[in-house]
Amino acid sequence: MIWLILLPLLWASLAFISGEGRGKWLAIGGLSGQTWLAFDLAQTVGAGGVAVEHLVGGWGAPLGIDLAADGLSAAMLVLTQCVALPLAVYAGAYYKRGEVAGAYFWPLAGFLIAGLNALFLSADLFNIYVTLELVGLAAVGLVAAGGGAQQVAAALRYLFATLLGSGLYLLGVALVYGGYGTVSISVLTPLVTSEAPRLMWIAGGLMLIGLMLKTALWPFHFWLPPAHGGAPAPVSALLSALVVKASFYLVLRLWIGPFAPLVAAAEWLAWGPAVLGTLAILWGSWQAIRAERLKMLIAYSTVAQLGYLFLIFPLLTGADAVQAGVMQAFAHGFAKAGLFVAAGVFIKATGQDTVAGLAGTVDRLPITLFAFGLSGMTLMGLPPSSGFLAKWLLIETALDRGYWWLVLVVLAGGLLAAVYVFRVLRQAFLQAPANTSLAAVPRTLEWTAFVLAAVSVLLGLRGVELMQLVGVMR
Amino acid sequence: MKRFVVGLGALAFAALLIGALLEPLMANTPGGVDLRVAVAAHMTASGVDHPVTAVLLNFRGYDTLLEIAVLLLALIVILAIGIDPECDRPRAANPVLQAMARLAAPLMVVVAVYLLWAGAFRPGGAFQAGAVLAAAAVLLHLTGLLPSWQLPGLKLRWGLTAGFLIFLAVAAALIPQGALLQYPPAQAGKLILLIEAGLTVSLGLILAGLFLFLSRDPGDDA
Repeated sequence: MIWLILLPLLWASLAFISGEGRGKWLAIGGLSGQTWLAFDLAQTVGAGGVAVEHLVGGWGAPLGIDLAADGLSAAMLVLTQCVALPLAVYAGAYYKRGEVAGAYFWPLAGFLIAGLNALFLSADLFNIYVTLELVGLAAVGLVAAGGGAQQVAAALRYLFATLLGSGLYLLGVALVYGGYGTVSISVLTPLVTSEAPRLMWIAGGLMLIGLMLKTALWPFHFWLPPAHGGAPAPVSALLSALVVKASFYLVLRLWIGPFAPLVAAAEWLAWGPAVLGTLAILWGSWQAIRAERLKMLIAYSTVAQLGYLFLIFPLLTGADAVQAGVMQAFAHGFAKAGLFVAAGVFIKATGQDTVAGLAGTVDRLPITLFAFGLSGMTLMGLPPSSGFLAKWLLIETALDRGYWWLVLVVLAGGLLAAVYVFRVLRQAFLQAPANTSLAAVPRTLEWTAFVLAAVSVLLGLRGVELMQLVGVMR
Repeated sequence: MKRFVVGLGALAFAALLIGALLEPLMANTPGGVDLRVAVAAHMTASGVDHPVTAVLLNFRGYDTLLEIAVLLLALIVILAIGIDPECDRPRAANPVLQAMARLAAPLMVVVAVYLLWAGAFRPGGAFQAGAVLAAAAVLLHLTGLLPSWQLPGLKLRWGLTAGFLIFLAVAAALIPQGALLQYPPAQAGKLILLIEAGLTVSLGLILAGLFLFLSRDPGDDA
């Protein structure tokens, strides 16, 4: 499993050495290998029923750094590689030769994926901070790359938000180290009790706020729409599908890991993320319904969809809530990547990033529009998509605990998603004004959008394996 | 008014943190770990004699590997954004300054090599040595002896990445020993020196690049 970290580091550096705009085949080759490794790891973890560990340097915690892959980590790794590989194929066709925006795409994307994989595998709080920096810096670079003043401004705002987030996290780690003398999760977890010193509460609060800022949970979402909506389509897809999930994964990992005794001592605490998640669903969907620009609509939809992830926190007394959360992460990951790459095709063809400009695209880009519709189906939660499965699990768990109002939120969110998805589809079916002409678009772009969208729907049929995998805990 | 509220908030936050720190630390957390003991116990197997170097390059070497990636990434981000460089030094170079810089630069290279070597047994190491090298490059640039850097050529790209790639190669080559970065105790010292030597050059170039890529020479105002 260590190669899941080393391989992207290697191809990212080689892509940088080989020069501007080069590295496409290094990336696609590397990602193919990583996809195989991720599935292999998931197989090992799923079949063995125990977490796989790797003690870096052979020292073992607390002196050295441990890496550990349980079902949750393995599932997130599979998601990362499976979204990144089609996006690499897409980006290879998206950036024209010599385009400034794509000059450093491959090394930046490589370091981003290396950081994500390292984050999902790490079992050391300080090491996770380093991976957060790797992910955050690469993401900011991708947003800013070769863009105009507006894009750089969005990237700067993103940089401040992500630096503040990781700064708060680091402060929390420092407090934990001061209190317990270790940053290893496996050593720390048995030491923490519900009578933990006040310092541990402050540390937990700081880490939670920092990571919510990085996940763009309402009201910390202010940086997300300009950054995700303004970046080139492959970058928006990487950020919306994967990067925000990394900090969510970390919140979940800490919540059910070292901080579990504190959370159990104050049960009302779990309603904080759930209420913010509810507001995120309502506010994000409303903004998406009103958005003029197509990519802004999709970016606000991300704000809304991230809300569902935080609805699981009051339900975390059982393993089924984690399964619902991971299912939603998968559904949104594939569907949102599909939406952004489809939007990239529309923008390339019509030359404008507006919902109104889509009129008449149904005749010329049927595959892309179909992909957009399939992804939208997942967001709405129609069967048999993975979005349906995620919402189903969430509703079932909520009813099981007697929280019926969560059910109402989930259903309302699905209806609101239908409004903004159909707004786009309706526009695409309208007659185009007589004098419009659409530019030719490479076929690869259309088909990668279709593949991502199809996976988001068909995954609903293979959900059982995924849920079994997530059931294997550290 | 707004400043008052922000100031009050910051004050309350600081008071909260100070309050947390006033609690006796290790004492009231039963079973807390003292890593200093663990580090001291494993010093003989680490291959170096200075605990900081042992932690950075051996016990927690994986953190350092990723941190080097972060530094390299920072430089790539600057290149990717393509910020318009500004000319930040006078047109006419001062001959006295130039003569001083010519004297200082070789000395700084010697200091860097010493710091690299000293890292094994006293404070020092690749980061400090790289910083001194970068300072020498910035000094030469500010006195007009070294032109600013435009887009990096193939040689410079290799130089920037070499330290990281050497570190990565050593780390990966040790996997058959049992784990990533698991040095055999007998060779640990040599391997750490090899990694640090590579890092010194690359870190020097990266840190100098953070300055020199953003600078522009007087004259080429394009």
